[in-house]
Amino acid sequence: MLMAAMASAYAQATIEELLEKIQYNMDLTTDAMARVTFTQAKVEQGTKTIDSIYYRRDSDDSFLIVMIAPESEKGNGYLRVGDNFWMYRRNTRTFQHINRDENIGGTDARGGDFERRKLPELYVGVKDSSGKETITETMLGKVPVYRFEVTAKVNDVDYPRKTYWISRDNFLPLKEQCFSSSHTLMLTAYYRKYTTANGKFVPVEHLYIDEFEKGNKTIVEISDIQNDRLNDDIFTKAYLENLSK
Amino acid sequence: MSFILTISFRNLVRQKKRSVLLGISIAFGVMILVTANSFSHGISDVMFNRVMRYVAGHVSVSVFEKNMINCQIFRDKDRLLDIIGRNSQGVRRVDEAIGTMSRVIGNGKSGNVMLIGLDTRQKVSSQDLKEFEESFAIVEGSYESLKNDRIENPAIISTDRAGDLNVKVNDIVRIRYKNIFGQDQAARLTVVGVMKITNIFMSGVIFVDFKNLKSLLGYSPWEMGGLNLTLADPKRDAVQVADRIHADLAPGLARITGSAKFKEKLQAVSVFGFFNDEAAKKKIGSQVSFITPPDKDSLGKKGVLLTAALAEKLGAGAGSKIEISYDNKFGGKRTTREYTVTALMRPIDCLADDVILLNENIFYPLFYENLPQDPLKYPGAYIPVKADPFYSVLVQEWVLLPRTRTTDDFKKKMHQLTAKKSKAAVVDVSTMYEIASDILKFESALNLITLAAVLVLFFIILVGMVNTLRMTIRERTREIGTMRAIGMQQGDVRNAFLCEMMLLTFFASLVGIAMAFLAMWGISRMTFDVADNPLGMFLVSGHIYFLPTVAGVLFNVILILAIAFITAYFPARRAAALKAAEALRHYE
Repeated sequence: MLMAAMASAYAQATIEELLEKIQYNMDLTTDAMARVTFTQAKVEQGTKTIDSIYYRRDSDDSFLIVMIAPESEKGNGYLRVGDNFWMYRRNTRTFQHINRDENIGGTDARGGDFERRKLPELYVGVKDSSGKETITETMLGKVPVYRFEVTAKVNDVDYPRKTYWISRDNFLPLKEQCFSSSHTLMLTAYYRKYTTANGKFVPVEHLYIDEFEKGNKTIVEISDIQNDRLNDDIFTKAYLENLSK
Repeated sequence: MSFILTISFRNLVRQKKRSVLLGISIAFGVMILVTANSFSHGISDVMFNRVMRYVAGHVSVSVFEKNMINCQIFRDKDRLLDIIGRNSQGVRRVDEAIGTMSRVIGNGKSGNVMLIGLDTRQKVSSQDLKEFEESFAIVEGSYESLKNDRIENPAIISTDRAGDLNVKVNDIVRIRYKNIFGQDQAARLTVVGVMKITNIFMSGVIFVDFKNLKSLLGYSPWEMGGLNLTLADPKRDAVQVADRIHADLAPGLARITGSAKFKEKLQAVSVFGFFNDEAAKKKIGSQVSFITPPDKDSLGKKGVLLTAALAEKLGAGAGSKIEISYDNKFGGKRTTREYTVTALMRPIDCLADDVILLNENIFYPLFYENLPQDPLKYPGAYIPVKADPFYSVLVQEWVLLPRTRTTDDFKKKMHQLTAKKSKAAVVDVSTMYEIASDILKFESALNLITLAAVLVLFFIILVGMVNTLRMTIRERTREIGTMRAIGMQQGDVRNAFLCEMMLLTFFASLVGIAMAFLAMWGISRMTFDVADNPLGMFLVSGHIYFLPTVAGVLFNVILILAIAFITAYFPARRAAALKAAEALRHYE
């Protein structure tokens, strides 16, 4: 009864509160390092797998990605410190300024997917004609979830409209659908598996399905997560260049 | 002199076969030279006036926000068009550059295309229309259909793309693209026409109605992208027009005049942005005294500074959430935003009482997305003068990049801009000669190569000329002796031979020029099917394009005459130096 009451209480929460909850659960308070594998399947292009090492420090909006496989991508990397975002190419040994919508390793994953962004600052709940937000209790397979829609508050987002399915137990996103302004479904993301790191949740298996061009999909797998404090010199160009050698 | 000319002409006619043969070889060399120069000139004309002109215009005004080259947006269209209008002398046409890359799904097939907005409502000259149709000849449907509001996003596609995507007229294709803000978007286009494109680099183009594409890309009706200007005489006027427009685009101080509210208290305020760099923060620190010592966030990315006087009027303090409201210039809306005050300051001999300063990171998004009313509508509102010590830390409406003269300087400028990560909108005025000075270098290189090749050819011809002249002098040694004996001076003898060669070269050049024009006419009538060949970009409707110029032809003729003169001078001088008696005794 208590749990039902709690669930009921949360069902009456606003979408903004749910977004805050998602943000809180997934905001890393410590540094993190992990191995990230992207497997991209594209129609007419076959499957491509890229292995990388990912370092992240949310306190100063920094992250570093360095590719370790395949051979064609090995040594290439991406470094973000504050507002500055660079791409490093091993063969030319040059850094180039890029934007957050740059594709990572030629996959559909973008730089913006790896940065820390506050959901409540970007999105707001969709209201119906009476000004009321709708949060639906439903099932995603066998998992009880809340389903709600959000729309972008700012222009600087990847998709202007999204629908979330979040677990009723722990408010973790399990499914996300991304729409264009014309309400065309563009992308469906499934967060199939989570792990915990220092009390926070990290999705270790994501599946992105391209709904616009059927047959394209990307799987992101995160493993070997470590939360030790990272050296400051990791988030520098010199470090990325050295790693790439 | 006329006597010498008469002798020279008579000598030419006297040895017809020799003169004709030598003349033909000279004419052939001139033909090659004139044709080659016209060809290289034609290539650069195609590059400049048929490719670059459509891509970038003779003069381009680029405006982009967030350091994103795809985020081309100027928030006040009428203002920019007014500036262009004031400086329109020499400007033939102004086009808004609207386009984006897109993924397109046809009937079971997909591909990448470039969507370009075409403004069919704008009046065009018959010359522009002809040039456009040469590059984009419609084979099915019509460009007029792009204006049809009853059709969903009418589009004109190239024959190549139509084949790749397996679509025909009236078919619907789906597109995925990023709008100017980087958002992933989707839309449907209806194919209303098919065009044949001769330039392989333009084969991935889909034309969409200009208004529709602007809407798809996320522009509001009062916003615009960059501008491409077409000039009547680009070579003469491009730099001057660009410099004039650049001078007139000097930005003013970015300012919001509105009101601040805290609890129930309301106060009229002027809101400015301050730069986020260390130099600006240091300057602020030296010009104000802070009511409480500032911490690292006080002037940080979310810094909101209130003057002490304003804070007192509102009853607010550091940490208070205040509401800033103001009327928008467009849309008849009023913007209201809440900010947390990070510090209170007491300006020292600067600013005014009712001023709020926002860090540029939060000021610019507010300013651009909700452009405030024209400051002139508030005659009593505070405007800092340039002499105000605070003026230099306050941000401007946009950043105007300096003018550059060469492609290298232009590239350096863009590189520095990318490194700087400015929050402000950036405005740049360039001519295609700066953006593409490599094309000018390419033309110069091509001219140099053709000149070198033709000079080698001429060297061979001139060997023949020298030989012929030596033979002529040898055969006419006794004649030279006779002429000297009857009183002709050395100079006259020399000039007679020189005139002979110059006359031959001159007439041969005229014939060569005529042959060149004939050859160009003949070659340009040949049609080349180069649909899949990158070299097709140098052709016009499948034909090689020659552009001879009076200056170019004259230069070539003068060059050949000069070479002939130098070649003939030394043998003629030797002939003139012959002693009369020795010459008369000469026997072959």
